[in-house]
Amino acid sequence: MPIPASEFLSVEKYELGNGLRVVFSRDHSRPVAAIYVIYGVGARSEQRGRTGFAHLFEHMMFQGSANAPKGTHFKLVESNGGSLNGSTHPDYTDYFEVLPSNKLAVGLWLEADRMRGLSINEANLANQKEAVKQERRLAFDNRPYAIAILERWPELAFRNWANSHSLIGSFADLEAATVDDVTQFFKTYYAPNNAVLAIAGDFQAAEARRLIEAYFSDIEPQAQPRRPDLSEPVQAEPREETHRDPLAQVPAVVVGYPGPARRTPGYYRLAMLDIVLTAGESSRFYQRLVKGRKSVIQYEANLGWPFAGPSDYRDPGQYAMFLLHHPQVSAGEVVRQVEEEIGAVRDQGVAEEELARARTWLRAARMRQLESSRARAMLLGQYELLDGQPELVNTEIGAFLDVEPGEIQAAAGQYLATQRRSVLEIAPGGGEG
Amino acid sequence: MIDRRQPPPTPELPRYRLPPVVETKLANGLEALLVEDRRCPLVSARLGFPAGSKHDPAGLYGLAESTAALLTEGTTRRTAREMAEEAAAIGGSVRAGAGADTLVVAGDALAENLGRLLDLMADAARNAVFPEEEVQLRKQNRRQELLAQRARAEYLADEKLTEVVLAPHPYAHQSPTLESIDRLERGLLAGFGRGHLTPAGAVLILTGALPPPAQVLETIEEAFGGWEPRQPPAPPAARFPEPSRSITLIDRPGSVQADIRLGRLAANRASPDYFPLLVGNTILGGGASSRLFANIREQRGYAYDAHSAVHPLKDTGSLEVVTQVRNEVVDAALEAVLAEMSLIGRDGVSEEELSTARNFLSGVFVIRLETQEALANQLSVVKLMGLPLEYVEQYTARVWAAAPEEIRAAAARYMNPAQAAIVVVGDGAKILKPLEKFGPVTVERAG
Repeated sequence: MPIPASEFLSVEKYELGNGLRVVFSRDHSRPVAAIYVIYGVGARSEQRGRTGFAHLFEHMMFQGSANAPKGTHFKLVESNGGSLNGSTHPDYTDYFEVLPSNKLAVGLWLEADRMRGLSINEANLANQKEAVKQERRLAFDNRPYAIAILERWPELAFRNWANSHSLIGSFADLEAATVDDVTQFFKTYYAPNNAVLAIAGDFQAAEARRLIEAYFSDIEPQAQPRRPDLSEPVQAEPREETHRDPLAQVPAVVVGYPGPARRTPGYYRLAMLDIVLTAGESSRFYQRLVKGRKSVIQYEANLGWPFAGPSDYRDPGQYAMFLLHHPQVSAGEVVRQVEEEIGAVRDQGVAEEELARARTWLRAARMRQLESSRARAMLLGQYELLDGQPELVNTEIGAFLDVEPGEIQAAAGQYLATQRRSVLEIAPGGGEG
Repeated sequence: MIDRRQPPPTPELPRYRLPPVVETKLANGLEALLVEDRRCPLVSARLGFPAGSKHDPAGLYGLAESTAALLTEGTTRRTAREMAEEAAAIGGSVRAGAGADTLVVAGDALAENLGRLLDLMADAARNAVFPEEEVQLRKQNRRQELLAQRARAEYLADEKLTEVVLAPHPYAHQSPTLESIDRLERGLLAGFGRGHLTPAGAVLILTGALPPPAQVLETIEEAFGGWEPRQPPAPPAARFPEPSRSITLIDRPGSVQADIRLGRLAANRASPDYFPLLVGNTILGGGASSRLFANIREQRGYAYDAHSAVHPLKDTGSLEVVTQVRNEVVDAALEAVLAEMSLIGRDGVSEEELSTARNFLSGVFVIRLETQEALANQLSVVKLMGLPLEYVEQYTARVWAAAPEEIRAAAARYMNPAQAAIVVVGDGAKILKPLEKFGPVTVERAG
């Protein structure tokens, strides 16, 4: 299938002497530039007794640095007409600034200043522990389904503690974090050789290179610890658990299967199977479970769920789905219907026309995503950090589009088999569970 | 040599320039706006009607919303499934939704399929048949969705604040109730669609990799030209009472934090107060360098989130303050928020705050219009709110023109804490007493 020229983004990559990898993608059609810094540290880098560290640290990154005292980061970005944020993931932590294009230098200065010397002190740490506790209350403890999805689900789906522990962490571990702990964490993981800096949008490469050289090149690299052992035992038996959620009003069920390694042939096959099964209103789940059987009200599914998608999917990963269903249909029956749909693909395969729709859907969705400079910078940074190949932003689509009907059919049998399945039933109401 | 101790100097923000817009009007009254954007071979379309939930009759809340949802669930020409498959096959989607003022059919597709996209959208808007089976499924699912929404404290808080601030105007009911969902039936939905979905007063926005205008206009004419116009129903009278302080507690036993909202009627986009209010709101709680964020989150550590927002509607607007705090500090936090609300009106804002807010609003406005969908949304809002197209280009200039004294006056009026309605969702056993310090509290049960 021909891909129009406009789907090709310019991609330029180089590395500083200290190991900081830099990726550019220039497009002058809108006066906007996005800066994205991604560090190779996430919740799965944490050790026992230190849960929530990666996320607490994300907060600390906004608390001031050597030349940008507390409050400066927010103020400088906003007073230059930009927006910013950060987020914590299983395998990385990331930060962005989107700015009017003639303000690029401000964002680079801020990112370099905090990479070089963050202000870590008792007052900042105490204040951010409180903010994180409030975030936990808001996004976890006071919200239906959240504890089930973000804490019970990983515990059921994974057996290795590195994969299964809570990303936001426990109050006890957060309380125990000392200034020394946090300082050591910063020194180790927030080093230039553990980071990628990506810029996308309207900027001049020579000017950006000059600024990056001046701001970042003399930040000291650090020896990197080995990535913790994340390996999971092979799952040979289905797993099942019920979680009672006193805040929920409507029952739900999470169903998941261990997925193939990122960017292997199986990964692309399962991704296309996912589109056929669940993407949009023409998908099998929508037409047969929401419409035909009227058992499911809403659902979401993807490689890497409950995180955003493929960029969060790093081995070992799960292909998982969340289905909100009618109270008169049992969770067991919903799971049976899900397996029936998987079985239909496994036994009868997919029609050419259905696959053609899935391919078109994917092409269009990818292009839509790349319209925003922030999304482009993020994808480039993630591809470089996770795969060492930012050019995948242009080329990886081919691996998805090349998947054949027979391969999708085989993937349904191979990856979505009952003995590899985990099921978390989320039942409304308190009591035993 | 670059001095790394100082942030780098940068030039002034660039001015936003709206790309050329081709405007036209069909004989049946449908207004069409075309904006070319050739970066990606995609097109985005918005077909908007002044037919939002403010037209829902009393007790039939959610009628506009459900009418919209069912437009793509079967027409005289296509079943729901055919429509879904065709939308996917052209690399896009067609969906419809309703807000307080408007009902919008939104579509997107690969650029080569523009004609098929417009045909699908016209079919949805003109020929929906509201099949009985789809209506029943919609009611059943909407009921469960509403139950799921109401399990969230923030949903309960927003729903109640909207009601308290905007009643007795129909704007008070922007979401359905379990009872009103039960009352919806096929005839009501079809009637709402017939009455409100007419090309007279409607607007069609197209952005993306479009063919030459003459050719696009031909395609539009093909899809919409034969559509007979009728007079759209008049909106409800824009009458709103004088705002006053009230305190409502929605008791949600077991809540580990209190979800606090404060709100008041405010200016809409057409009001001369709007831009001064917008700038004042940005300083109060519009971003991470705002007073509420600095005070409630960064200094006191009471909350993860503390912000304020202006919600402009067509016939009025509202100002809302949002924060969620642990139960023990609910009174201290509320006091701090009320104090911040009164300060701008009393003392005005500093030069530095003003410059930050102006730059933030102007810069982010440009950033947000980066995608073709975002521009299509912005243009459809401008047209349906009855604003001139220049609104988009003048936005930045008007942000800069808002003078300190105008900002202070707008704050004194719209942020007056004595006139703010307060809504708190939380565990009554823990937070009722502290709330009573602020005045008499009306207690309602969640659920």
